[in-house]
Amino acid sequence: MRWMRCSAAVPSRAPGRAETIALLTLSEVEAAIAFDQPGLRATCKNDAILVEGTFLVTDGNGACDPEGPLTQYAIRIELSPTYPRIEPRVFETGGRITRDPDHHINGDGDCCVTVWENWLATAYDTGIAAYLSGPLREYFLGQFWFEKTGSWPFGERAHGMNGMEEAYADALGIANRRRDILYYLRILRLPRPKGHWPCPCSSGRRLRDCHAADLWSLHRRIPSHLARAMLVRLQPRKGELSRTGF
Amino acid sequence: MTVHDKRLARSHDDILEAIAAALDIPPGKFEEARQRYQALGSWLDRPESTLADLDPAISPHGSFLLGTVTRPLTDADEYDVDLICRVKGTKSALTQKQLKDAVGYEVALYARARNMARPDERRRCWTLNYAEGAQFHMDVLPALPDAQRYQAQLLAKGFRSLASDGDLSGHAIAITDNQRHDYALITDDWLQSNPYGYAAWFKGRMRVRLTEAKKSLAARERITASVDEIPDYKVRTPLQQAIQLLKRHRDCMFAKDGEHKPISIIITTLAAHAYNEEASLSAALQTILTNMDRYIVEHDGIAWVANPVNPAENFADKWPEEPRKRDNFFRWLAQARQDFAQYLRASPFDTVPAELERRLGPTLVKRAIASVMPEEAPIGAPALLLGGTHDAELERARRAVDEVQRSGSQSRPWTR
Repeated sequence: MRWMRCSAAVPSRAPGRAETIALLTLSEVEAAIAFDQPGLRATCKNDAILVEGTFLVTDGNGACDPEGPLTQYAIRIELSPTYPRIEPRVFETGGRITRDPDHHINGDGDCCVTVWENWLATAYDTGIAAYLSGPLREYFLGQFWFEKTGSWPFGERAHGMNGMEEAYADALGIANRRRDILYYLRILRLPRPKGHWPCPCSSGRRLRDCHAADLWSLHRRIPSHLARAMLVRLQPRKGELSRTGF
Repeated sequence: MTVHDKRLARSHDDILEAIAAALDIPPGKFEEARQRYQALGSWLDRPESTLADLDPAISPHGSFLLGTVTRPLTDADEYDVDLICRVKGTKSALTQKQLKDAVGYEVALYARARNMARPDERRRCWTLNYAEGAQFHMDVLPALPDAQRYQAQLLAKGFRSLASDGDLSGHAIAITDNQRHDYALITDDWLQSNPYGYAAWFKGRMRVRLTEAKKSLAARERITASVDEIPDYKVRTPLQQAIQLLKRHRDCMFAKDGEHKPISIIITTLAAHAYNEEASLSAALQTILTNMDRYIVEHDGIAWVANPVNPAENFADKWPEEPRKRDNFFRWLAQARQDFAQYLRASPFDTVPAELERRLGPTLVKRAIASVMPEEAPIGAPALLLGGTHDAELERARRAVDEVQRSGSQSRPWTR
């Protein structure tokens, strides 16, 4: 019954190319944690939604564990109202995880849960409840497993740009070559991929005569706003983007 | 009511079912109440009864009919058995006062014949108080059949499918109300009610689990009768048990503010809407508590909990004039979510958190747990200690990791 917003609705882009983002509300976050994470509390702070408390890691997904939760971590999550466009920042506040890159804690202290755009591109549901029961649960389950065994149960990405390229290549379903990744994203960042551009499969044919259907299908998973965000994070060097694909 | 097979608890569901069973009216007490209202029915229909020509029939409604009765908070409190005394009269021949007085007269004779106190007149019913040991009283609601007018009104308001559904609207009744200006006048405009239609709707919300529970009872008790012949009151579904737990939680939370507590019909209606035939009590509670408030709609800024068999009726009609009732409902819902989630998500099955225990009644909870736990069990010890060896934790973690890997991991940690 509460429809509280932390801030007013905002257009996602310039007027004329209007695409309204449905802003994340406090009540949505509260609904997501109400039953599955009873140790967390959500509040509004300025424009953000803060989620703080104890994050339970269960050994089943959905049903209640007869033995109770496997483990728990004290955390704080900072959520932007424009979630999922803006990645949540997660902090482990209990001091249980060593603050270093090898424990997947970034230099500024937040947890590097996953390569965000890779999850957005590959997950069926990117709602806040799905995030909590998906990547976040897996991150802390992984931390618990690492505590016990010294290994990461679901693997780990390389640090820095290499890991990001690896994750983007996975999301695109292509080999991990920076040049190719940049060209795919250059195509996908447009609302409608250009049919006369060379096909990224290197056949030498035009896209409209080659893998246009595949690209359209990929574009549904990686829409232009997501492709643009991925391109920005890859920080192409001057001229690097224009050289790709041609 | 639920046949309890004395097996030891192994899960949250086992404990919650034991608490729900302890909350339920004991079979002996239920049978006693049933015999007494049947005896009252026979009295009203005896040849020398002044109502005999009107062919009176007594039947339960409310929580007795729905199977959601909960034990009173204290031994000093009583079960409230709601009954309808339906006579085959017409509004053109009887005023509300005449019907109320006629039923009251016979109920008073019944009470005198059994050395009971005179029945008390209420606004719409007669209350028959039994001796102290009985621990229940009966509210007898005089009524006439009124389906035709009820269905015509549904039709006029656009609820065509409801109006044409005999189960949902074909047993509506007209009831008396001594506060109305036309109480002593012949009029067609009586207050209406549809408890049997509501019960049919409620039963429809749990049809699969009701049949399943009856089959299970038949197998357990080696009953050869068909499932249809087993009375509904012999079994409990997860929906009924969940409502019993929620009503008890409400009773304890508002023990000192009974006047403004969330009313049972709102809890029952919203819970039945939210319930999706979950097979277990824990899953039913999760679904209900997570979703029940979604069935409160806004009509012109007014919160509306529609009567499912008469959507023009708002069960929350008191909320606008008494906002505290609305606030208390949402306060209760938030607390119930928190308390049950703390148990189901954050606690091992043998440790009912103190907050939930307090809001279900510590004595009742302890007794229920004792009935399904071995005496030497270390009740109260956290699971992390119980199964807290390195190997046990690792094994649980391994199962969790395997499950994630089977379903396809969604993430791999990284560092910027």
